[in-house]
Amino acid sequence: MATARTMLDEKTAPPSHSPIAGTRSMICIQDVVVEYGQAGKPSKRILNGVSLDIHPGEFISIVGQTGCGKSTLLRLVLAEEMPTRGQVLVEGSPRKQPDRRCGYVPQKYSLFPDRTVLENITFGLEVTEIGIFGSFSPARRVRRHEFRSEAIGYLRRMGLRESDAVKYPHQLSGGMQQRVAIAQALIMRPKILLMDEAFSALDPGTRAGMQRLIKDLWRETGTTILFVTHNPREAVILATRVIALGRTAGDDDGANVVLDLSIPETGDELEIARQVRRVEQSTFPTGAESDEQTGAPEI
Amino acid sequence: MSILQIHAQPSRTTVWILSWFLFATGVVSYFWVSRGRHMDNPDDRVMPTLRQMGQAFADATLKPAEDEEASANPEQQSLAAKIHSSMLWKDTMATGRRFLISMALLLPAVLLGLHMGMFPYVGSFFLRFVLFFDKIVALSLLPILFIAFGIDELAKVMLIVVGVAPTIILDAFNLTRGVPKEQIVKGFTLGAGDFSITYRIVLKQIWPRVLNSIRLNLKSVMLFLFAGEMIASQDGLAYRIALLRRHMGMDTIIPYVLWVALLLFLVDFGMRTLNRKLHPWFQEA
Repeated sequence: MATARTMLDEKTAPPSHSPIAGTRSMICIQDVVVEYGQAGKPSKRILNGVSLDIHPGEFISIVGQTGCGKSTLLRLVLAEEMPTRGQVLVEGSPRKQPDRRCGYVPQKYSLFPDRTVLENITFGLEVTEIGIFGSFSPARRVRRHEFRSEAIGYLRRMGLRESDAVKYPHQLSGGMQQRVAIAQALIMRPKILLMDEAFSALDPGTRAGMQRLIKDLWRETGTTILFVTHNPREAVILATRVIALGRTAGDDDGANVVLDLSIPETGDELEIARQVRRVEQSTFPTGAESDEQTGAPEI
Repeated sequence: MSILQIHAQPSRTTVWILSWFLFATGVVSYFWVSRGRHMDNPDDRVMPTLRQMGQAFADATLKPAEDEEASANPEQQSLAAKIHSSMLWKDTMATGRRFLISMALLLPAVLLGLHMGMFPYVGSFFLRFVLFFDKIVALSLLPILFIAFGIDELAKVMLIVVGVAPTIILDAFNLTRGVPKEQIVKGFTLGAGDFSITYRIVLKQIWPRVLNSIRLNLKSVMLFLFAGEMIASQDGLAYRIALLRRHMGMDTIIPYVLWVALLLFLVDFGMRTLNRKLHPWFQEA
């Protein structure tokens, strides 16, 4: 059986200036198969033998058509879901459930609706450092003050005002909500940040701003980022490496990696356009358009 | 202009008139028929006049209950003392006490539903049983409850718990299952454990909806409570209504029924206000 590697259009080594060169895998996905089945019905294969090595500090974009298993792959890394076969290792070990090594920013329901912006951002610090019973300790107020200061710092970094701290999520726009969600995840200093179509619901202007923000944050923190998107241009602009998923053998055989492309950092529009075209050709070979090709925002 | 237009925009005055029209019609019709019956038969007890009902309600509110020890001089008692020793007060307190105990016993039902929704093993253990119990008509259990728990308070409270708890458990269960998966995953990635997620994320999010569900079940709670009081009780609002029915005491029964409706309305209003104050995010969302 052809493995993922043999089907790649091109496999480019990470650029020498990359922070990831010469380091061991942060995430290792080994020959993963995912099947969903119901009793009495043949199971449906979603992923078919996917193998990937992701190094610390990489910014990975995962693209592909709707239903090709992008989000499933993300859930596997998150350990929200287990593979039918194969294994997913994070820092060399398998996991049984999501933990704080991975930050998570979904497209929807990214914030707790019953908490203010400040409470959302400090939630992780509260549960890990104070806990339920620690709430009654005298040191609690001091720690809460520190959390608040740190959260306000993140809030400003995300381009939000201090006055937004007391607002509830439903009082914020979609872009602001995603900024808070990113702050909420980053304040826990995760080793990996998983973003599942986090900008899909935003208007083009807000989306471009968010793209700039996430790229800047990645440069500052060096966090490994896995970014799922429908948009080939967004994938190329943001990532150091684009992974395209698609079905090569047939609809029932599940998706595999059809392109694993390293993206050199360049401001050259022609080069970007060339890379985007390659991603599009791999991802949408029959001429089908991605959901968001038209009017794709730029950084 | 047709009144059956989806985009019709009645004025504020029209809305006010329409919303009170049926109330006014009901009241006017009652007193019209009552007046006619009293003209035919001045001793009619089926439809008492407003004066008769007012007098009966005043007696129930200001005169000592039958079982109250006669004080030295009832005329010299303060208004508060008169009300405190009245039949209506004692009945209201008896019913209110049972009502509050029953409501308190619904809290474990909420927690059970929460845990059933969060923890698959707990859900598997209880769900089928609760679904089965939910289908049993609680009033049909009344004889069994009276035999098992006697005719004291416990049987009446148990009737309410058996009648309403399965609904609340299943409501809490469904609300828990309705919390988006992303929220739970998010909790884990922020370092929360299973119980932190259960109590600090999920319970907090479903709580206003659970309160709403309890509020909407207030009528069922009162229904079961009244059934218990009417069949086996020595005090309480429903006991009094059942007792007065034997004497055709409509002049007291009607004010009692209105009093119960008013109390339920106030509890409903109080719970809605409390929910709004405690969970501003829920009302605004």
